[in-house]
Amino acid sequence: MVDPPRKDRNSTLRSAGLLLAVPTLLIVSPLLGAFLGNLLDRRFGSGHWCAGIGLALGFAAAGRETYQLVRRAQQEEEKDRRP
Amino acid sequence: MGLEFLARVRRTALWVGLVAALVTATYAAPLLALGVALGAAWSLANLALLERLIVAITGAERSSLPSVRRAVQAVAGMLALFAAGGLLLRLLSPAALMAGFFIPYAVLVLKAAALLLLPSALWKRLTQDARLASLVVALLFGAAWFAVAPLRSASIAAPGHAAAATESAQATAGPAAPGAPAGEAHEAGHEKSEGPQKFPNLITVLHRAFPNAGWSRFLEHYEVILFALLVAFLIGLVARLATRNPQLIPSGLQNAVETLVEQLNDFITGILGERHAPRFVPFLGTLFLYIWAMNLFGLIPFMDSPTSNLNVTVALALTVFVYAQYVGLRGLGLVGYLDHLMGSPRNLTGWLLVPLMLPIHVLGELAKPISLSCRLFGNIFGEDMLLVAFVSLGITTLSFAHLPFGLPLQVPFLVLALLTSTLQALVFTVLSTIYILLMLPHHDHEPGHEAEEELLEHSPI
Repeated sequence: MVDPPRKDRNSTLRSAGLLLAVPTLLIVSPLLGAFLGNLLDRRFGSGHWCAGIGLALGFAAAGRETYQLVRRAQQEEEKDRRP
Repeated sequence: MGLEFLARVRRTALWVGLVAALVTATYAAPLLALGVALGAAWSLANLALLERLIVAITGAERSSLPSVRRAVQAVAGMLALFAAGGLLLRLLSPAALMAGFFIPYAVLVLKAAALLLLPSALWKRLTQDARLASLVVALLFGAAWFAVAPLRSASIAAPGHAAAATESAQATAGPAAPGAPAGEAHEAGHEKSEGPQKFPNLITVLHRAFPNAGWSRFLEHYEVILFALLVAFLIGLVARLATRNPQLIPSGLQNAVETLVEQLNDFITGILGERHAPRFVPFLGTLFLYIWAMNLFGLIPFMDSPTSNLNVTVALALTVFVYAQYVGLRGLGLVGYLDHLMGSPRNLTGWLLVPLMLPIHVLGELAKPISLSCRLFGNIFGEDMLLVAFVSLGITTLSFAHLPFGLPLQVPFLVLALLTSTLQALVFTVLSTIYILLMLPHHDHEPGHEAEEELLEHSPI
């Protein structure tokens, strides 16, 4: 069996590395948003409003980062397909 | 890969969620099953809405009316989803909801790992021989069984232990001091939940032999830093030996090191491009080699992986974070850097979205070092604990014979540890490279950055 050329192997490794990062980012960003919002809530005594907004912004940040990583993985795939 | 990959993850997560709910309904309670199913559904809906919102905001037609409409619909949907989530948390078990919530993420991790494993030479070699493949499957089943054994025993022992603690508290508590026994019981429970310790290393052995000596206390206190410095010294030594007497036709150590450096150079150049790579390969290549060596160092007897300590991984992630911000500031200038953080607004819609995009960008930037450090620490620490568990199991298995050694059950997991150590160093390096790339001027999408690129090209970093 012939091994794939080195360039293709690197590309697969890069794509896998990028996609393995997605779950942690999706979890960390909302938690960080909620944590920072909670700190603001304690500071200003604003109930749970800042934590809620921080959570929502965290989810959005996670989505944005994920989108960037997935787009990068797609570029890797397109690079692979090119002759 | 890409978006089709995410679509496949969604489909698989849907089925896994359904099966998990059915299993929970059969073996636990219908309400818990409902919690798992709704948690998974919530997570999937959230991912779908996020994808819709991000494509609408950052897509090529982001300023068109249909895109704005899609973004508004996605935001409204997310608000409704959060409200529904709050209601669900009040009505159903949070643990069941969280279990369902994490199903899509677990599917994502497993699919990405499979993507890496299936085309590998190791997988092909394993699946060529049916007996070898069966042996691996049996070993994996055994590993899973023993890995969940502590959880099962904890869940079985917990009610009894709590009852015993309460009984002992009631028996020993006098009416004058009702709080004291409860505190003792709590402390006993705390000691019980400490879990297995790591393998003893050279420094812990010395500290146990000379517990009162000042130097042994010093070594024990700075153990992680000393091992990290030792790894750095060894890498430096290997580099020195490999380049001491360079030959035009390399052999031996020089050949091995040159191959490794060439592979790393190709790997990073594939992401950054020929133009930017030469300036960043030394930093990113060193980062990979250092993390890889630190991950593997724990597999040597009487040594320890510095990366199984959160302080080291946080330091590494902060180094990358600060460097990436520096590259951004240096390349884009203060105004360009702030413009990047605001999402590069170029029209009215863009400026209206600045109050939303700025905190999202800042949160995203702050989340990067946290996710980098937690991922590396969790994987290497988990790998160490797995080895400890299997060494203990091997010793326990032969304990009836009173032999000074045990069965080497940890050997397959040493091979697995070699793989995960390399993979985690690779993931850390790929993500660091991407974070630096995202801070470079956006020459792919936006014209007019040639001057910035020129400036970056001639910068000393």
